[in-house]
Amino acid sequence: MVNNLLAISMTLLLVASASSFAHPLRRLRPALVLSALASAFALTAAIHVTATGNPVTVTLWEPSPYATLEMRLDPLGAAFAAIVGGVGLASSVFGIGYARHRLIDDFVYPLFLLMLLAVTCAGNVYTFLAAWEGMALASFILVLGDGAARPRRQAAIIYLVMTHVATVFVAASFFIVARESGSTDFAAMDGSALSVPLASLAFLFAVAGFGTKAGLIPLHIWLPRAHPVAPSHVSAMMSAAMVKTGLYGIARVGLVFLGPGEPWWGIVLMAVGAVSAVLGVLYALMERDMKRILAYSTVENVGIITVGLGAAVALRAEGRVGLAAAALTAALLHATNHAWFKTLLFLSAGSVQRAAHTLNIDRLGGLARAMPATGAATLAGSLAIAALPPFNGFSGEWMLLRTLIGAGGADGGDAVRLTSLVVVGAIALTGGLAVACFVRMFGIAFLGVGRTPEAMAAREPAPIMAGVLSALAIGCLSTGIASAWIVRWLQSVPDAVLGVRATHASDGGQLALASGGSFSPVLIAVVLIVLAPLPWLLARALFGATGQRRGPVWSTGVVFRPTMQYTGTSFSKPLRLFFGRVLLPERRIDVVYHGASPLPRLVRYSGRVPALFEERLYLPLRALALWSAGRLRLVQSGSVQAYLLYMMAALAVLLVVAR
Amino acid sequence: MNGTAEAVILGIVQIAAAVAAAPLLNGFIKKIKARFQLRQGPPLLQGYRDLAKWLSRSEQVADSSSFVHALAPAAILTATLAALLFVPVFAERTPLTASGDLIVVVGLLALTRALLTLGGMDSGGAFGQMGSSRELAVGALVEPVLLLSLVALALQPQSTRMGDIVAFGDAHPGEFIGLGWALAAAGFAVVLVAETGRIPVDNPDTHLELTMIHEGMLIEYSGRSLGMLHYAAMIKQLLLAVMLVNVFLPFGMARFEGVPGYALGTMLLAVKVALVGLALAILESALAKRRLFELPDLIGAAAFSAMLGVGVTVLFT
Repeated sequence: MVNNLLAISMTLLLVASASSFAHPLRRLRPALVLSALASAFALTAAIHVTATGNPVTVTLWEPSPYATLEMRLDPLGAAFAAIVGGVGLASSVFGIGYARHRLIDDFVYPLFLLMLLAVTCAGNVYTFLAAWEGMALASFILVLGDGAARPRRQAAIIYLVMTHVATVFVAASFFIVARESGSTDFAAMDGSALSVPLASLAFLFAVAGFGTKAGLIPLHIWLPRAHPVAPSHVSAMMSAAMVKTGLYGIARVGLVFLGPGEPWWGIVLMAVGAVSAVLGVLYALMERDMKRILAYSTVENVGIITVGLGAAVALRAEGRVGLAAAALTAALLHATNHAWFKTLLFLSAGSVQRAAHTLNIDRLGGLARAMPATGAATLAGSLAIAALPPFNGFSGEWMLLRTLIGAGGADGGDAVRLTSLVVVGAIALTGGLAVACFVRMFGIAFLGVGRTPEAMAAREPAPIMAGVLSALAIGCLSTGIASAWIVRWLQSVPDAVLGVRATHASDGGQLALASGGSFSPVLIAVVLIVLAPLPWLLARALFGATGQRRGPVWSTGVVFRPTMQYTGTSFSKPLRLFFGRVLLPERRIDVVYHGASPLPRLVRYSGRVPALFEERLYLPLRALALWSAGRLRLVQSGSVQAYLLYMMAALAVLLVVAR
Repeated sequence: MNGTAEAVILGIVQIAAAVAAAPLLNGFIKKIKARFQLRQGPPLLQGYRDLAKWLSRSEQVADSSSFVHALAPAAILTATLAALLFVPVFAERTPLTASGDLIVVVGLLALTRALLTLGGMDSGGAFGQMGSSRELAVGALVEPVLLLSLVALALQPQSTRMGDIVAFGDAHPGEFIGLGWALAAAGFAVVLVAETGRIPVDNPDTHLELTMIHEGMLIEYSGRSLGMLHYAAMIKQLLLAVMLVNVFLPFGMARFEGVPGYALGTMLLAVKVALVGLALAILESALAKRRLFELPDLIGAAAFSAMLGVGVTVLFT
């Protein structure tokens, strides 16, 4: 039944793609409607597989026994396929009201979804790599769009280059493992017999390749460029679902293929994750464009999930399998939670762009009064992404912190214990900065007074868009309250991957580890609901009813103007200074004098936070590549004799080496 | 069912006690500070009169405010009271032992910060936005210190439940007190100063825009809402003081049983909290407010201390 659902879903996506050519039907948006339907089928299949723990296999095409096109959905893949399905469902429905009709977009969008899905349920290396490339190409086309604007072309090209370099690493990693296990079937690939250096190489290749797709720092540079320029429903797919395929790959190689592994692998992953989390949110705080803020926040959240995966690898290598299962669960829980709130916030950004024609928060303001439904939903998403109880972001963070503190317990090696606890500090700092980041984004864009006429004139978007946002907001809250059940649903994954379940992970609606400290989201919600009316009721009972007068906002006695408000840039000034040594902000003040007058005629101020990784790491690398290419031109003399000589030499070398 | 009833009663008692005592602690600190300045100071009970005044007044609300402004004060008070339910106050037991731990307390305090700063930004006045901007910057630095200083204590009992930490500290004071404990306590002390908006981080007595953080966020609030926000701040101050004395100095606590035991425990707690209040007042009188941009040095040192406390505990126990 489930493999039928999966096959139906994939077929529907192909039909959806073809339906974009049905010109008379274009008003019905068949591509998006069918994509939504297909996503719902895929979601159902994936939820079922993870719930039961029984993998399903669909063989699509078998041209030879060595290269079959095969889908195999196992619990690990299904957890990610569920994310793809859920995000696809929300984005497609939102897209019906939001997306402008363009043939190429409608044609590629279902294919993108199909490839995403295929990556999570590929059953062997060839299927995976084909889907992986298809996913990259489809998203590249969607990012490129009409390619009219230069930043858009630039973003697309950088994305294409990065993703292909990543694919090389991914393929190399797979082939190292496949060579050892003598099979390219995911189910049979087992690198546990590899020598430690070779296994480590395969692991590091996987981290480099998949880490690029996931957006781990310093491989993230394409992400904050490419995600924002795509249409919002595609941005949501990329940020909430596509980056997770990278994490899926790291989990697949690091935990499934390469067996118990080495503790230092996990330490490396945790360190990379922690750095990505802290720097990701710091850069998000410095951005003014809503979608760029969200893109950098994806880097942050991917970092947090990577910390969970790293903890799982390290703990398992040390033989602390129960805690490793909890760490893996925490990573997956945060991945599903992130899918909820990141989809919500990217789609909300789409609504804002439609309503106010800009995403620059310094030109917005007062949107919560102009579009209350969107405002309330975005507030819920902001609180969730800032990891505040009782929203779902907090549950994932609790589970992760609790596991890391457990990993600091006495039965492990000192290196893993200390790393885990330093990472606890990093995650707490990330949490504090995320609160700052999303209070800033919501507070500047949605609160206060509109800073431009367009922001003042903003109105609620189409009901279908507002409806999707509200549903996602309710999801952020209810999955937070019900997170114990989601954890239970996810238990088939550590069971399949590590052979154990996270013990006592969810008794009666409560999250817990084997011992020492538990957390019941349900009870917290009950307590908050019971306590919430108390202040009002008590105040009313003791001091009677009070009235309310409306008046202008206090602005030291002068008439208030919207430009008096803080902007996003001024709001993050304290943090820009606090973290000056990390961010290296630049500012320039030009003072122009008029003749001999001591009074300046003009003062020009400009400031920016440089993209350090691009400027200090990638630009020199690019220069090096161009320089060495120039040197290599010497070989290309253009004379036939020389080329014949090269071929002879190559043949001679081959004969000697390969014999 | 018996356990549930007990939990509910203990919860109500803890909340009622905190609500009753929080203005007193604030009044006590003010009184001591005034004495240092050779002033008489407001009477100890002035805090209650101020709160009663605010809570019975009507409100002036800015035209430009949204639903956030209206909902924030009660929500902040709610989250603060909820955090109280996971902290051991009179005895090792907490009302909701199984439902939350120190991470939940940190999370609920972060929730109050988010709501407070959103409320401060809602009307669009630059004062509120400035206060929010500073509060969030300081809060982001304080959060890891708060968590790490508590985690340092959670390592030996292998539990993040505060009641377990208290029980462990009470049962094994020799292992509990050590270098790690001292470093963590130093970190937590800075958190207490920063989170209660006191000198050298913030100045509770000023409304000068150059110096203020907390008062800036309240500027658009008046009447009942203002009263609730002040009340929440006082309760949070008491909560952190109780956390400091009970979690870091839990001695004797776990053994309280029966009515006389609880009475003794309460008296001991009152003395300990009063000593913390005294220390805060002395610190505030002795130190000068630091510039906002010098705060990373102070909080960074506290973070380092707490991290070191964690490291020492890992390596030497």
